Amino acid sequence: MRMFIGFISAFLTAIVLCTNVMAGDKINVVTTTSDLAAIASSIAGEYANVKSICTGQEDPHFIQAKPSFIMLARKANLWIRVGLELEIGWETPILDGSRNTKIRVGTDGHLDASEGIIRLEVPTQKVDRSMGDVHPLGNPHYWLDPWNGRVMARSIRDRLKKLDPTHAAAYDANCTAFEKRLDESLFGKELVEKIDAETLWQMELAGRLEEGLMEKGLSDELGGWLGAMRLYRGLKIITYHRSWVYFADRFGLSIVAELEPKPGIPPSPGHLVEVIQTAKVNNVKVLLVEPFYEKKGPEFVASKTGATLVVAGNSVGGQPEASDYVSMLDNIVRRVTTALSSGTK
Amino acid sequence: MPWQNSDVGQSALGVFHGAGGAQLKKDIFFLLLMLLLAGASRARAGEPQQQQPATQSWTDRFGRSFQSFNPEISAIMDLIFHQDDSDEDIQHIRESMGGFGHSHGGEEHHHGLEHGFNLRHVELQFSAEVDPYFKATTIAAVSEEGAELETAEIETTCLPGGLKIKGGKFFSDFGRINPLHSHQWDFVDQPLIYALTLGDHGLNEKGVQVSWLAPIPSYCLLGVEIFQGENEVLFSSLNEAPLPLHDGPRLGVGWLKFGPELPGRHGLQIGLFGGIGKHQEAHDGDGDGAEDHWFDGQGTFFGADLVYKYDDTRAYGRGDLTLQGEYCFRRKDLEVTAHDILPGLVGNHKIDDQDGYYLQAIYGFMPRWRTALRWEQVGLTSTSDLPDATVLDFGSSWRIGLMIDFTPSEFSRLRLQFNRGDYALDSGRTEGVTEVMLQCMVSLGTHGAHKF
Repeated sequence: MRMFIGFISAFLTAIVLCTNVMAGDKINVVTTTSDLAAIASSIAGEYANVKSICTGQEDPHFIQAKPSFIMLARKANLWIRVGLELEIGWETPILDGSRNTKIRVGTDGHLDASEGIIRLEVPTQKVDRSMGDVHPLGNPHYWLDPWNGRVMARSIRDRLKKLDPTHAAAYDANCTAFEKRLDESLFGKELVEKIDAETLWQMELAGRLEEGLMEKGLSDELGGWLGAMRLYRGLKIITYHRSWVYFADRFGLSIVAELEPKPGIPPSPGHLVEVIQTAKVNNVKVLLVEPFYEKKGPEFVASKTGATLVVAGNSVGGQPEASDYVSMLDNIVRRVTTALSSGTK
Repeated sequence: MPWQNSDVGQSALGVFHGAGGAQLKKDIFFLLLMLLLAGASRARAGEPQQQQPATQSWTDRFGRSFQSFNPEISAIMDLIFHQDDSDEDIQHIRESMGGFGHSHGGEEHHHGLEHGFNLRHVELQFSAEVDPYFKATTIAAVSEEGAELETAEIETTCLPGGLKIKGGKFFSDFGRINPLHSHQWDFVDQPLIYALTLGDHGLNEKGVQVSWLAPIPSYCLLGVEIFQGENEVLFSSLNEAPLPLHDGPRLGVGWLKFGPELPGRHGLQIGLFGGIGKHQEAHDGDGDGAEDHWFDGQGTFFGADLVYKYDDTRAYGRGDLTLQGEYCFRRKDLEVTAHDILPGLVGNHKIDDQDGYYLQAIYGFMPRWRTALRWEQVGLTSTSDLPDATVLDFGSSWRIGLMIDFTPSEFSRLRLQFNRGDYALDSGRTEGVTEVMLQCMVSLGTHGAHKF
């Protein structure tokens, strides 16, 4: 018996040593989606290995918790999720399966990136499932608002600094660089050089960017995504799933219908007829759809209404051009503006 | 934040109106204090993040923590309409299949499907993180006959080195089908080899499990389980004279699951398993209704399982493919403890061998629609080496099943299934049976995510 206990304790010590050696110097960051991975890589730079469960090519609501995901989670020092119940169908089996005590919900190694973001569509009334796949904590596709991208970057920065204080300065610098690139892409490089980004953001968040620029006599200087989308503010669009509300909200588009009759329920012929009616009444020019949805329904609606079908990946990796967070948003803006400019000619 | 404060202000105002003259001064002071506090906290909140919408307020946070303090509660209803073309019902045919004879010792209850409408059961589930150290789940299967406790398990969440200990009553985690509750099956019914070697409930026992995720680059999970040993088919203890009394635990199970790293959207898992435990049987040899000979010995089983999954990028499960198969062998090695009719056989052995396998494929052919095909055989080995040295060979049975299901949402599923089987009975003849089943399952409440 004593020998047995001796053997067991030697064995456990070996495991602990083994896992310590395996950890190495770099922090292992595992994210649920590719967008989180892209932001985390920008902040962590060379000091972390960042891996994502989703590739950006699939619907992040439905993922199989396969063994290799459990292996990723086992080695993680930091697990980052989108939250708002987006990963409700597969996060727990991966976290439980990994037996990694460092990344359980509520620990420093588990970060919910939705902390502090601007949330939309938080139900104010009692929800039930007859409404479809409604997220009671709010619409989880929040990374499509560049402001939320900033908030996410800062949360990731703060958590990395906490887990790895020796490289705090690098994380700060990387985060500043990330924000700079994002702000320049959003407002235009020239404008950000004239007015600092914080001021621009304050105006934008208060809903008075246009007035603010006018007061300063810089109306013509608005560039970037906001500049490109400026012409189309107030335009009505149709989307497949309720996954574009944050994008539409930031860029002043108004979503008049979804092809899904209710979130998570595929389009029915009857509903498509209604959508076509709505599109005609509202003079809808653009139909925004993710690559992983079927194209028959969208193509049918487009052909009946004259709207342009825009297939745009709303996650990093969803389309070849969307190689990081900024280029993902850039790709969407470019595809939407191209469709709108050809449509209005 | 802002409206929260005005809310407090309003209630303070209410007190002020209702109070009357004497308390006036006190109430004005109170009101001023409230306003001051409200202003201060608003100013403070205004500094770091200006644009926090009202939804970010304490009710939201409270709502979330409130939610997480509550256990996840769910109820799963399972309704089945069943028809078959056999003279007796399919349950009787299954029970008279050669080489799978039931012990006549323990109480027998039938869970087989009757012709017509069936309410399989309502599964009531409560689960939660107990504290930073444990997680617990309890599941009761409630049927018209009463309630059965299917699961009452406590598992650790805090052990280092990839270890986890689970205790309570739970489904043994060996193989692919045994850990699953009936609502997770891909067909209405479970494969024959499972139903016949372990009964309708599978290996569902009281005990302890230790499992370990090995620190190697590939997924490799090892588990050891010690159970009381109360399975009515393969590990039963009758506890009646003239059989000896065995103290629990009487059953040990071990398994291994290995998942090599596959690129992209492919997933693979291979498993090996085995179990050994005490087993007793009592039989009525002359058919007078009284037991007349008793066996005591061992039940063992071992086998392998394999699953491959392809997770397509298309929405609503379209293009998803699962291929799965399992093989299981079981042996009952029993000694005659007492024999009222032929006392000379006492001390001799009876060895019953059985095996079987199934192969199934499930494919998402349209958004929300899946179809599946299952082929299975039992009794490839189907021998009984009797105490009087005669050897019986019962022959094999096969069954093929075709399933189509429609999943309107994550919380409901409608399923149609056809079975055609050719069953070798212990009388020596075979009987072919066609079954048709229509199933409707719904899930209420919050139900945890399922494993790979």
